[in-house]
Amino acid sequence: MFRVLYPAATVVRLALARRNRLILSAALICLSAFTVPARAQQADAKNPLDGNPAAIREGSSLFRANCSPCHGFNARGGGRGPDLTSGLWIHGGSDAAIFRTIGQGVPGTEMPANQFEDSETWALIAYLRSVSVKPAGPVAGDRARGERLFWGKSACGQCHMVKGRGGRLGPELTRVGVARSVEYLTESIRTPDKELSLSTSDPNNHYGIPLEYETVTAVTRDGQRIVGVAKNEDAFSLQLLGRDDQFHLFLKKDLSEVLHERRSLMPAYTEQMLNHDELQDLLAFLTSLRGWE
Amino acid sequence: MKMTAIRLAGILGGLMICAMSVRAQVTYDRILNAAHEPGNWLTYSGDYKSWRYSTLDQINVSNARDLTAQWVFQSASLGQFETTPLVIDGVLYGTGQDNRAFAIDARTGRAIWRYQRSLPDKVQPCCGMVNRGFAALGDRLFMATLDAHVLALDMKTGNVIWDVEAADYRQAYVFTVAPLLVKDKIIVGVAGGEFGVRGFIDAYDTATGKRVWRFYTVPGPGEPGHESWAGDSWKTGGAPAWITGSFDAELNTLYWPTGNPSPSDYGGERGGDNLYSNSMLALDPDTGKLKWYFQYTPHDLHDYDATQIPVLLDAVWQGQPRKLLVHANRNGFLYVLDRVNGQFLSATPFANLTWAKGIGSDGRPVIAPGSEPTAEGTRTCPGALGATNWFSPSYDPQTGLLYVASSEECDIFSGAPQKYHEGHDFMGSIYVPASGEKAWGALRAIDPLTGKKKWEFKYSSPPWGGALSTAGGVVFAGDSEGNLIAFDARTGHDLWHMQLGAAIYSSPITYSLDGRQYVAIPAGGALFAFALPAK
Repeated sequence: MFRVLYPAATVVRLALARRNRLILSAALICLSAFTVPARAQQADAKNPLDGNPAAIREGSSLFRANCSPCHGFNARGGGRGPDLTSGLWIHGGSDAAIFRTIGQGVPGTEMPANQFEDSETWALIAYLRSVSVKPAGPVAGDRARGERLFWGKSACGQCHMVKGRGGRLGPELTRVGVARSVEYLTESIRTPDKELSLSTSDPNNHYGIPLEYETVTAVTRDGQRIVGVAKNEDAFSLQLLGRDDQFHLFLKKDLSEVLHERRSLMPAYTEQMLNHDELQDLLAFLTSLRGWE
Repeated sequence: MKMTAIRLAGILGGLMICAMSVRAQVTYDRILNAAHEPGNWLTYSGDYKSWRYSTLDQINVSNARDLTAQWVFQSASLGQFETTPLVIDGVLYGTGQDNRAFAIDARTGRAIWRYQRSLPDKVQPCCGMVNRGFAALGDRLFMATLDAHVLALDMKTGNVIWDVEAADYRQAYVFTVAPLLVKDKIIVGVAGGEFGVRGFIDAYDTATGKRVWRFYTVPGPGEPGHESWAGDSWKTGGAPAWITGSFDAELNTLYWPTGNPSPSDYGGERGGDNLYSNSMLALDPDTGKLKWYFQYTPHDLHDYDATQIPVLLDAVWQGQPRKLLVHANRNGFLYVLDRVNGQFLSATPFANLTWAKGIGSDGRPVIAPGSEPTAEGTRTCPGALGATNWFSPSYDPQTGLLYVASSEECDIFSGAPQKYHEGHDFMGSIYVPASGEKAWGALRAIDPLTGKKKWEFKYSSPPWGGALSTAGGVVFAGDSEGNLIAFDARTGHDLWHMQLGAAIYSSPITYSLDGRQYVAIPAGGALFAFALPAK
């Protein structure tokens, strides 16, 4: 009477797929239209669908339905998963290695194993190749000077944590060197308001949109203003991490106003605050951040 | 003699027990008069007019703040728990995700039986392995399954009494709907509008499971309306019918809404109005014959299913008493129709919308230029999830207001031609939330006759829970942040709320037992019941 119908991982994948099918419904080209002759287990397997426009389209919709909750709508990275367009493939960048990563996941990380058909996995890889840039060469700046800027003059570490050291208001950066492209990092430093970084999404809200790293100001009834990042919010309460690094847990009835400013708490690092060379140094440090190893 | 008397007493006692169990039989008459039996919840929307209103008034504006959890039932699956349970003489009957069903003691929350029909590997619901509930007649419950079967279950045991296949699930035919019992038939409508099915509404004989009629929502060759589909596009035209309709016994008319044409966001190969997608259908429940139709969104390109509950009202319209049908539509307009003949009376926006400049006097939308999806993407409001969706509105005859959970979200729609492949997604598009905009939602109290908004209560994000109104002057509704909220029906002031820990994907019900009024709602994997503290 209570048969287990799917392995748990399938259920997760189905749930994600269903959720996103509606939000991000996408043209699916018929899967069986592709003839995928060989299994991809060999280490040197090449993507039989590489560059195939129909496969790229199919891959893009599969991506949005299954991968975008963590890796972002356009594969440029989300609240949990890295940017997959940067050309950096820390777990191997060959067709066969990406195939394996998708199918088996990455143990010890939040990347799960997925149960796609082979043709679907190849279509995903064809899509990812189509949006990937060539990995940028090493950044010209000086890593050590960049590290000093990060913790010193530029004060990045006041809000960002790297390997357990630093602040908490902004995204954690221990793996940012593999998770985000140089272009993305540059944009985030110079114009942080342009695209607010995503926080995590609510697994119980299938159509929900993840919270953003957005400046929120709570105004109390006696006129006090507490500025921070909303960790969560509903019609009745607000869970704010304040600029003072403390939780401020409000009932909305005790507040006269909650202001959503649609901007990042992070200041825009202009040329005056961070000149070209300093930016290169900082990027050299950030791109060197590849995890705890 | 003495023995006989004792025997007789025994027989009489037995008869009394029998009489009680006879009372537990659901009759068509009881459902027809469900509004006069507020202790129970006998059909999906509470009664055939689909008001989702109860005359129970123990919970009122002054005491709602004292509401307390009475029990929690765990269904054993997580996600979107969409059921509207039925309550019949002390027992609550619900359906869960993954083809589950259950009966529980409505006083204690203790399970009486559980049922799960095994799921084949490739069922294709667009939006979760969900089900919205049972219909009941006699000692049977009727359930429409994810693998497109219709079942009769025994109320006492959950045993299957009959099981019929309505369609082939491998072609992506799916049921998520709560069936509607009309006389001796149950009515169901199919889902699958994201997969290019040919939509239909079916009626089955409750005694045998034999299909009595089928109405295809996409007309075949030679049938009126067929000309509204270019070429062979009708074959994969969609127009599913996955929300429970309403019924007017006096007019002997079933009102059943339909969903989007397929592919939902690309219309290049389905030129024409695409009847009867996004329509209200008035059907003869005995024969399935179409009496009239009204199409809200002809040749839809934005997934604006009309699968919202039709609310039946009798009211004075411009000096004349009329039988009306009120419909808060996913496309953002609140429509009033004459339900005798389908005549269009009015349409008023109840949410921000950009796809149409208005609705003409003939009921057709005046499409805003440049609102069609393009290859590059067009920002259009409401987004694909709609200004509202399948969750129930509620009509309160005391305030004369319609309570509608609404969303404010715009999407970037991009459309592209797509080849149909049986059993696979067929939407012709990608749509994503418009970036840089914060989507939100609200419970809105609207005068259904004028479309004027009386109050709104803002939610942090678009809601997926509907509303229940009660004679105590309290409206109940759930939000996507997981709050069940009690509102003052007149002012929208929030009287009480409870955080249930997961987004709410259902509409509340109410019932009473031992003189106590309960309110029940699912959230996450659990079903919750609330009441005032026992005296």
